[in-house]
Amino acid sequence: MPEVKKLSDGIFEVVKDKKQLATKNLEPGKTVYGEKLIPVEGIEYRTWDPRRSKLGAMVLKKFNIPLKEDSKVLYLGAASGTTVSHVSDIVSEGEVYAVEFAPRSMRDLIGLASRRKNIHPILADAGKPDSYSHLVEPIDVIFQDVAQPNQAEIAARNAVRFLKKDGYLLLSIKARSIDTAANPKEVFKEEIRKLEQAFEPRFEILNAKDLKPYHEDHLGVLAKLR
Amino acid sequence: MKIDTWFGTIETGRAGEIQEARLLSKDIRELALHSLSLRDSRSDLPPEGFDLKAAAFDCGFAESPAEYYFLLHEVTLEAAKLQVSGALTPDQRIIQAVEALDDINETTNALSERLSEWYGGYFPESGLGGEDLALFIVKYGSRENVGPEAPLYSKARNSMGAKLESADEALLKGFAESVCSLYERRRQIEAYIENSMELIAPNLKLIAGPMLGARLISLAGSLGKLAEFPSSTVQVIGASKALFKHLRSRAPSPKHGIIYSHPLINTAPWWVRGKVARAVASKLSLAARIDFYSGEKDLSLTEKLEAKFLQIRTSNPRPPQKRQESGAKPKKKRRK
Ligand SMILES: C[S@@+](CC[C@H](N)C(=O)[O-])C[C@H]1O[C@@H](n2cnc3c(N)ncnc32)[C@H](O)[C@@H]1O
Repeated sequence: MPEVKKLSDGIFEVVKDKKQLATKNLEPGKTVYGEKLIPVEGIEYRTWDPRRSKLGAMVLKKFNIPLKEDSKVLYLGAASGTTVSHVSDIVSEGEVYAVEFAPRSMRDLIGLASRRKNIHPILADAGKPDSYSHLVEPIDVIFQDVAQPNQAEIAARNAVRFLKKDGYLLLSIKARSIDTAANPKEVFKEEIRKLEQAFEPRFEILNAKDLKPYHEDHLGVLAKLR
Repeated sequence: MKIDTWFGTIETGRAGEIQEARLLSKDIRELALHSLSLRDSRSDLPPEGFDLKAAAFDCGFAESPAEYYFLLHEVTLEAAKLQVSGALTPDQRIIQAVEALDDINETTNALSERLSEWYGGYFPESGLGGEDLALFIVKYGSRENVGPEAPLYSKARNSMGAKLESADEALLKGFAESVCSLYERRRQIEAYIENSMELIAPNLKLIAGPMLGARLISLAGSLGKLAEFPSSTVQVIGASKALFKHLRSRAPSPKHGIIYSHPLINTAPWWVRGKVARAVASKLSLAARIDFYSGEKDLSLTEKLEAKFLQIRTSNPRPPQKRQESGAKPKKKRRK
């Protein structure tokens, strides 16, 4: 019998042959991107590959993941929904507003959202939160993985509009999307500075760690409003 | 204060209380279209931190959170579907076709080579290649079936190739049929691109020809983007891809964008090639703009380009003298 250990709300470690990160499958019997399904005592777990998910890597890097069963999440850069599907598992009684601007990725995301009622897909530019402000309610957690040069600014613009005062920002920063030549460490320092003081609102950084060995040249950041 | 939301427009008073609401009906399609219409609006946005769900209850649009989220879910899904289907505009379809064509070309070349390698063992003297060879194999199979009326008859009879056994012959014929159908598919896609270009970018087609025009759209990402590029960018479109390749894998560094396959440019003598390329790029850019903004076909574009070309040629009849110092001495003598 596989062993299950809870890491934080909705996030588990399942030991079957080896340790694996997993979430409870909201759609039993179905997989999203070829991950494994592991039933344990009547509950089906979906394995979560940290190499394919910045959020998954952040869990393993011991970030405090502020997601709760009923959290309202704004997910920026949803792509085809690999990580979104796990967030949807975690916030089983909550809502995921999934913003993505590439129509091709949105096609896959629509497929996922039509099976999962707590995912609300939005085809829009995350840099223009005004364009979806008529849809999104106050938010507990913003998760952002857009790989754009102006990601700190994008985070600030969305936080000012939607983030509750006691909400959190989870951010993945890709060094190469900001400056392909510069030393990633320098880029990260500069992005942290921007989050702390370049825009309104300002963030207080709670944790910032490299996502190695799961993702090269990526920094994970957990922050809240100052 | 007036606030637009996905479920209707509400008026709030000083304390934020709702004074009036004009709600939409709970028709998913209608709500989705309304939501899309609000994307670009600059006024009457909900203020920062506005609680849409609470407002939906207060004004009686939804009775429970479950109902609110159910409707919201259906509406966002419907709106996203409408947007994605709208995203496959005619220029996007051309881009798909161009990419399919590239894939088909690659496959066709690889399979043709394989076929000629394979059949070469049985009839090395055929001198055929590509589609001709594939058609030949489909028709005859073994060279022994070539009758006296066929042009390759004597070569086939005197060939030093091995004898083709019937099992191998069946295999080769099947393979050759696949190759033929790929060539057929290629013509079909080319015809599709040609027709579509006439419909959506007639001026670009006029100046660039259908394939180069379609490739420019494909590399730019859309006709709209191509129309926005300055002509200096148009001149190097296609080089950047090669540039990345060059940086990653030390492929030869790119000198020119794909417009250098334009007949006016690639037949121009080297000393005016840059000037001609600039002239062509500027007309291409103009053509893309006309196509994107008005769509009227303007036949005078080619005449103007030709006039410009003649002017460049007549004012630069000979290569410049001090070429040596610049270090860019041409290696070979070019045509013309
Ligand atoms: C690295 S991928 C995200 C992967 C995803 N978070 C996952 O783990 O499954 C980045 C995505 O952000 C999207 N993106 C980039 N800039 C964006 C923007 N300004 N607005 C919305 N989406 C954006 C890209 O299209 C891409 O799909």
